[in-house]
Amino acid sequence: MSDPRPGRRFDVQNEARSTTAPEAQAFEQHFVPVDPAPGARYQLDSLHHPLEEEAPPEQIDSALDHALARPKKRRWGLLSVLAGTLVMGGVQAVDTFQNAWFGGDWVSGAWSVLGLGVVTLAGTSLTRELVRLKRLRRHARLREDIDAHIMDTQMDGDRMQGLCNRLRLQMGLGHRDPHWQDFLRARQAHHNARETRDLFNYYVLAPRDASARRLITRMSSETALLVAISPVTLIDMGLMAWRNLRMIDRLAALYGLELGYASRLRLFRAVLANMAFAGASELATEVSMDLLSMNLASRLSGRAGQGMASGLLTARLGIRTLKMLRPLPFEDDRAPKLADLRRQLWQQMRRVDDGKADRKKAKDV
Amino acid sequence: MPLSLPGYAGDWLERSLDRQVRLAVTGLSRAGKTAFLTSLVNQLRHAGLDARLDMMNCAREGRLLGAQRQTQPDLSVPRFPYDQALAALEAMPPDWPSPTRGISELRLLIRYKSRTGSRHFLGEQRTLTLDLIDYPGEWLLDLPMLRQSYQQWCEALGTQLTGRRRRFAEGFLNRVSDLDPSATADEQQLADISAEYARSLNSARNEGGYTWVQPGRFLLPGELDGAPVLQFFPLPMEQLGDPAALAELPADSNYQTLARRFEHYKRTVIGPFYRQHFRRFDRQIVLVDVLSALNAGPDVFDDLRHAIATLMQSFDYGSRSLLSRLFNPRIDRLAIAATKADHVTPEQHDNLLSLVQALMAEPLRDLRYADVPVKSLSLAAIRATQARTVEHDGKRHPALKGTTESGEEVLMFPGEVPSRLPDADFWQRQGFDFTAFKPAPQGAGEALPHIRMDSALDWLLGDKLR
Repeated sequence: MSDPRPGRRFDVQNEARSTTAPEAQAFEQHFVPVDPAPGARYQLDSLHHPLEEEAPPEQIDSALDHALARPKKRRWGLLSVLAGTLVMGGVQAVDTFQNAWFGGDWVSGAWSVLGLGVVTLAGTSLTRELVRLKRLRRHARLREDIDAHIMDTQMDGDRMQGLCNRLRLQMGLGHRDPHWQDFLRARQAHHNARETRDLFNYYVLAPRDASARRLITRMSSETALLVAISPVTLIDMGLMAWRNLRMIDRLAALYGLELGYASRLRLFRAVLANMAFAGASELATEVSMDLLSMNLASRLSGRAGQGMASGLLTARLGIRTLKMLRPLPFEDDRAPKLADLRRQLWQQMRRVDDGKADRKKAKDV
Repeated sequence: MPLSLPGYAGDWLERSLDRQVRLAVTGLSRAGKTAFLTSLVNQLRHAGLDARLDMMNCAREGRLLGAQRQTQPDLSVPRFPYDQALAALEAMPPDWPSPTRGISELRLLIRYKSRTGSRHFLGEQRTLTLDLIDYPGEWLLDLPMLRQSYQQWCEALGTQLTGRRRRFAEGFLNRVSDLDPSATADEQQLADISAEYARSLNSARNEGGYTWVQPGRFLLPGELDGAPVLQFFPLPMEQLGDPAALAELPADSNYQTLARRFEHYKRTVIGPFYRQHFRRFDRQIVLVDVLSALNAGPDVFDDLRHAIATLMQSFDYGSRSLLSRLFNPRIDRLAIAATKADHVTPEQHDNLLSLVQALMAEPLRDLRYADVPVKSLSLAAIRATQARTVEHDGKRHPALKGTTESGEEVLMFPGEVPSRLPDADFWQRQGFDFTAFKPAPQGAGEALPHIRMDSALDWLLGDKLR
């Protein structure tokens, strides 16, 4: 008899239990019960941990990080297929060569020699690529170390010095290098990680920055001059590509850190953009000169302007490369600015111009 | 102050060009003010030669040419005894400079090469005038009294006289309990109780290690010894009673006599000291000796915190303009230094730093509100020890090598510094025992070894040495 008859009375104590129990069951069927009841207390000495926070996904921000991240698996697959094909091709070539040698088939023999030559060439480039990749991975690890610890104030100074030492080796500086010796003299036992980093920045990296800056100015003014002088669009573009790529390589050599695939690609795209600009501006100057039938002076100044712009673009590329390459970020006010380089570039071009004028004067006399 | 008009005008010109800086070296007694000043002069004298100032931009760029001591503007104030301090450090065996017993001044001319754009028409070589004063740290504690009345002062001291500290004041409390504030003053009785009070302050200072002892002149009376201006003392709160009734007591009553002497002390002793030396500062470095306070125990530690927080209210902080530079100078940049950093191993410096920041949390909040840039650093003006590592049980442990105060040469690990204010539990469980060291032997004419003097100088003066 589960249904209560009308007018039936329950006593208060029983009521609570008897009516809530089936309700609670129904409740539990529909809802998953929350495990600890509200207000539940635990023993103070029971095992407890700090609330674990989910680590934020590691974001790869800077271009260099992209560049130095581990190469993708896809690339390794491609490489192994490539290597396999090359080896098989080599074996096949040797086989054909042997057959030809013993068979006296000179024509196919010559073909085989050629094929072997190609295999050797590909092999060397492949090994070079592999070596580079390996080195890049080492850089990546170093870079990870630096990124993880460079801003870490908890790290002690000695470990930071170890990190700096690795950077020094990477740059190809000997132990006797005067800048490194300056750094060692300056660093004291009590210096913490931040101070050690600051000293390394000042004593070892700053001189490199100065020479990098000089290099950028020199090469961009060269580019400016060459582009200004050359009258052919194709030559302009070629010059731009050649000088820009060379500058990137030389800057990389200066800091001892090679650029990775992605940042190389990114810089290469910038080089292509510069080339396009050089070509387009050359064409535009050319056309406008014909259209507006300018005199010689305005033609010259038009050319000079085009050269100057190319030089500036090169300088900008240089600064970008510098920022990607530098193992430590620049301090606030120490980063090279395009404005400084522009002034230097302008002075250099003026000097060349003056020199030309002087020579001309001398010739006239 | 006998100042000639041209000299005064010259000072003004220098100030308007912002080539004159008054640096406040603030610290309670034994915090290392004299050592700091000695080292500062020494480092700047040796800059560019054998001083290692690698964290100081101007020095490492080779633009700092050196410094020279000059006759200070106020000829009635003794000169800072730099040579004596250096002689003590270079003696065999070396010793710390003797504690300061009176006020002294120092004017330093710092020569440097400018790299700003204006060097082309203003000349490359510039001079920065640095004014420094040294004073007994005990006197500094009087500054907060300027804002108190006698009654407020009695109440403030009464709340402090608790726990362990009360022990040192036992003799004084016994004597003063017989004194009736409304009775007619008896000169001899007041003098006796004052002497007893001075004794209690001395023992709290020397035996208990307490820093907060007022009035400071009782410890170092100088030429005022025995003068009635130093014959007053706080009355315990139980004896004070109703303020309105006290105010109506006759002028020759004990209470009124004491209150009068207190006001006189404020007016003639603290006032001039404050006006002549403690206003018109541009930069400040606060030296805090945390390690000694940790050694002494929890209540001394709290005492130090209270003392510093109260002290900092006596200075003007805020950003500066040309007008305020000339007429109402304010401290626009501040360094907080945990001194004697050489008494702990280098990996403890970070802890030392966060402890000092925790100790000064309250003043730091006010400074942030005033938008005054503050940098805290762990510092040793004169480095007495060498940091080493010791192989022990196949592991490497940090250690210090130095000579203790008793002359014994040791290689030891002094202990860990807590990174936060230690709680009561910690004091009971562990406590601290940091060893005091003597300065290391030092070749005559060499630059003094230091820890982060260069960082401190760069922070305090770097922007003036561009």
